[in-house]
Amino acid sequence: MSRRSDEYLRGVPMKPYDLVREGVIALGILAAAVIVLAIIFKSPDAPTVRGEDVAKNHPLDYLKTATDFLSGESGLQAYGPPYTKDTDNLMKFLGLAPAVVLGVTEPIDAQKDLVLAPLEKVAVLNKDVAAALTVWKAASEDQQKAWTKAYSDALDKAEEANGQVKVAAGQYGPVPVMMLGMLDLGRAGLLEGALTSNERLPYTLDNTKAMLFFQEGPDSDFAQSVDMLGEQWGITHEVGNLPGPWWLWPYAIWYQFPVLKESSNADAIVGSLMVLFFLLLLFAPFIPVLKHLPKWIPLYRIIWRDWYEKQEGAASAAKKPRK
Amino acid sequence: MSMTEKLQGYVKDNLTLDDALPTKLPIYVNSVAYLFGVFNLCALVMIVLTGLIMAIFGPNWYHVNATGKFFHSLHFWSVQLLFAFLVLHLATKYFLGAFRDGRWKTWMIGVLTLGAAILSGFTGYLSASNWSSQWHAIEAKDAMNAMGVGGFFFTTNYSQVLTLHVAVFPALVVVLVVIHVLFIRHEGPVKPYPAKGEAQK
Repeated sequence: MSRRSDEYLRGVPMKPYDLVREGVIALGILAAAVIVLAIIFKSPDAPTVRGEDVAKNHPLDYLKTATDFLSGESGLQAYGPPYTKDTDNLMKFLGLAPAVVLGVTEPIDAQKDLVLAPLEKVAVLNKDVAAALTVWKAASEDQQKAWTKAYSDALDKAEEANGQVKVAAGQYGPVPVMMLGMLDLGRAGLLEGALTSNERLPYTLDNTKAMLFFQEGPDSDFAQSVDMLGEQWGITHEVGNLPGPWWLWPYAIWYQFPVLKESSNADAIVGSLMVLFFLLLLFAPFIPVLKHLPKWIPLYRIIWRDWYEKQEGAASAAKKPRK
Repeated sequence: MSMTEKLQGYVKDNLTLDDALPTKLPIYVNSVAYLFGVFNLCALVMIVLTGLIMAIFGPNWYHVNATGKFFHSLHFWSVQLLFAFLVLHLATKYFLGAFRDGRWKTWMIGVLTLGAAILSGFTGYLSASNWSSQWHAIEAKDAMNAMGVGGFFFTTNYSQVLTLHVAVFPALVVVLVVIHVLFIRHEGPVKPYPAKGEAQK
């Protein structure tokens, strides 16, 4: 053995050990367990929520989402880094906002990138949409806001039946034609493609814009229906009865406390707490209370019970008075 | 003395073949708790093997092909068992005070491995290209952005999360595990706390 091992284990009784045999047997047991679990329970693989699904099954939600982005007043428009320059919604912990360090690294203008750019593609195929876009571009910003506000209000009162949306007549300008163009794009299954396509690259796997599109409404609604919202222990769950990443439980638990659930800085606070706990765990051998805790909680006596029985048995035998 | 001779000397002093492939152990190593780490290694072997096969056939394979789905399930359950044994391993090592007697490096590398394993598992969920990936990406991006990590790590960028999952984080885990195991073999299992009546050193 190495000099260090020899010195450390001097005087300790040893027993024979076959590391390779132990490893082979353990691998066999674990592999068998994995195969049995895979055969019996399979694995979770719920399909994604696509624009096509939302357009066909929840067209009103689809139109509301697209109109919200078109208004230029969506939450995403003022999200802050890494998408926008805004700082009003920055999450802070102890007054610090780490997001500002790198700033805007994935710029997204929700109105332009999520609605107007896809509509430019639709306009190539649909003259009505092309004409509506021309009217939109020629209008003043105030006029555009008035149209989207009126249409958005009308959508709040609109009815959905058999995959169709009935909106009351009103002064909406070109907005209904534009929004129906967006809805047709979704129904055709082309929304994600239109959002993901990139002028500079022949293809891309960056799904950021497509992922952000339905995050607030349809995705959130589906997540709630399968108990996956943050306050429902979020991503530690999986669709159905199979286990999810339960090891994120120490992270998810913080979102169950009302004080954090309702905090506008929840993600920054929880993230900072997790970094702190990780550092505590990492440096446990040097932190006064943490390094002594195992000695104070004698669970070790269960694991080493054979050793202690021998040691203490021998010690008590040696103490017995000689007759 | 050449660098090679110095390295040779260091290895001879710190890790002999007897340490790396031991044929004897202290008698106090006599509990099922010592097997949690072994099962961790076995789960990691299964994860790497099934992951390699899935990487060869690509991400669509395990959604549309029965064999692919089976390998996805093998990978999934290997991960579940890895984390189960990781938690047990971490807890038992902590309550044995396994970081005593100069073993703090082994402990710290073990904790770093846990962190790398969590990142690996997280990017695995992000790259499964199903609803869980979609929702994890949406939910986690806010946390990443709040912490400033979102400036370079985009949970919604499939190419980034996939390459992190199949290359960067697994390599990190394997390297850390190798170092962790070498330290364990070099240092040997920590001695029990003193028995009742035995003097504390």
